[in-house]
Amino acid sequence: MTAYFHRLDDLLRGHSAITQSGRVPRAALWLAAQVLVFGVAYGTAMGTFGGVLGERFWQVAYSAAKVPLLLLVTFCIGLPSFFVLNTLYGLRDDFGEAVRALLAAQAGMTLILASLAPFTMLWYASSADYVGATLFNGVMFAVATFSAQWLLRAFYRPLVQRQPRHRWLLRAWLAIYAFVAVQMAWVLRPFIGDPSQPVQFFRDDAWGNAYVVVANLIWETVRRW
Amino acid sequence: MLKWLKDLDRILRGEATNLEALREGRIEVPVVGLSFVILVLGLITGSCVGSFAVFRPRGPFFMQLLASTVKVPALFLLTLVVTFPSLYVFNALVGSRLTLLSLLRLLVAALGVTLAMLAAFGPIVAFFSVSTTSYPFMTLLNVLVFSIGGMLGLKFLLQTLHRLSLVSSDQPVFLPDNPPGPGTVPKPAGALDKVEGYTLGKQVRVVFRCWVVVFALVGAQMSWVLRPFIGDPNREFEWFRARESNFFQSVWYTFLSLFS
Repeated sequence: MTAYFHRLDDLLRGHSAITQSGRVPRAALWLAAQVLVFGVAYGTAMGTFGGVLGERFWQVAYSAAKVPLLLLVTFCIGLPSFFVLNTLYGLRDDFGEAVRALLAAQAGMTLILASLAPFTMLWYASSADYVGATLFNGVMFAVATFSAQWLLRAFYRPLVQRQPRHRWLLRAWLAIYAFVAVQMAWVLRPFIGDPSQPVQFFRDDAWGNAYVVVANLIWETVRRW
Repeated sequence: MLKWLKDLDRILRGEATNLEALREGRIEVPVVGLSFVILVLGLITGSCVGSFAVFRPRGPFFMQLLASTVKVPALFLLTLVVTFPSLYVFNALVGSRLTLLSLLRLLVAALGVTLAMLAAFGPIVAFFSVSTTSYPFMTLLNVLVFSIGGMLGLKFLLQTLHRLSLVSSDQPVFLPDNPPGPGTVPKPAGALDKVEGYTLGKQVRVVFRCWVVVFALVGAQMSWVLRPFIGDPNREFEWFRARESNFFQSVWYTFLSLFS
């Protein structure tokens, strides 16, 4: 158990031992497992907005499943293109370390999120406003995402030092990842669960498109202006 | 199959096209085997593009899925058929040393790069196909993905051509495998990297640059001729649509329709 906490501590401090030591698949699996564990932890907290008893229990379970699902499935969908791009630009030999660096940043992000869960609970305890709860969770995700950028940079530093081109591939990865993640988050709604609506895994109108919705919103605003 | 996949991997890593490998003045890739791998990658890409029709509200259109799966390899094959003869003729006219077979090898390798990239984007396209109901969005996403894949393939083509001219020129070639001095960043020998040195005849370069543009234009219009790939949810399934409009006009209108 102590060893486990030491390893988490290394992860948060951006020690290169996390991405460079050990065998590739095992280290990557360990990191993915951390995404799962801490994602479930924050998801559980996030889903308790409408209560935990009776039918609302399922909302908690759904939210707990959705946070790691969002991160890991997005990761898997983007990985093949990242692999081919790395190969084409001559960085194939570093690919294992690059993947572990990305996974380590994700694990760090969920760990940060989980540490913010008490704030979310306090917010839920003090306000029953659904829109307010949504915004607060948005802020928590934003804080975790931006903080995880530090980790990502720390884990990527040895790679960039070896070959500055890694910086461009990292940017390409972030673009691909964000592009998929926005839509994935849209599909997996609701994460919090409006208490006035029945509990469901997907919304009935889930099969939309986040980007089309945003484009329409912008267009409507411009037209009214 | 595994051996051919390894050949494709060698191309992607740039091992098949480094100066050492090109010393004979041609790329050593098996055309038949690589074509087979390209066909399979094309089928995968096509099924990802066509998956939009399966998940659309008015019920699964498996014929569209089948059509798209077959059409993507056909798109690249037909574009090659249209552009290859003139490329070879002009290439010979301006006095390039590339023979018919080595030119074909070069193009097959470039198509391999393109289709590997497209197949790797496949999961992203399939995910959006499943989760999106907006037809204009899917059209634009596919245009974007195919543009990226096509551009990487053509960049590979131009770089490899440049390297081929380096080794076939009479000037001595300095291979980049000298140990780099302290403080310098080691260059990765990627498939898309520039290699410094003497460049080939000006006319040959012009011919290939023009051809790259022509290839892109023909590919775009060929995709329009072979449409539908995605399948408009408001129209019945057809193998081919009537002759009308063109690719670029359609992309522009699709972009506008995103905002209405």
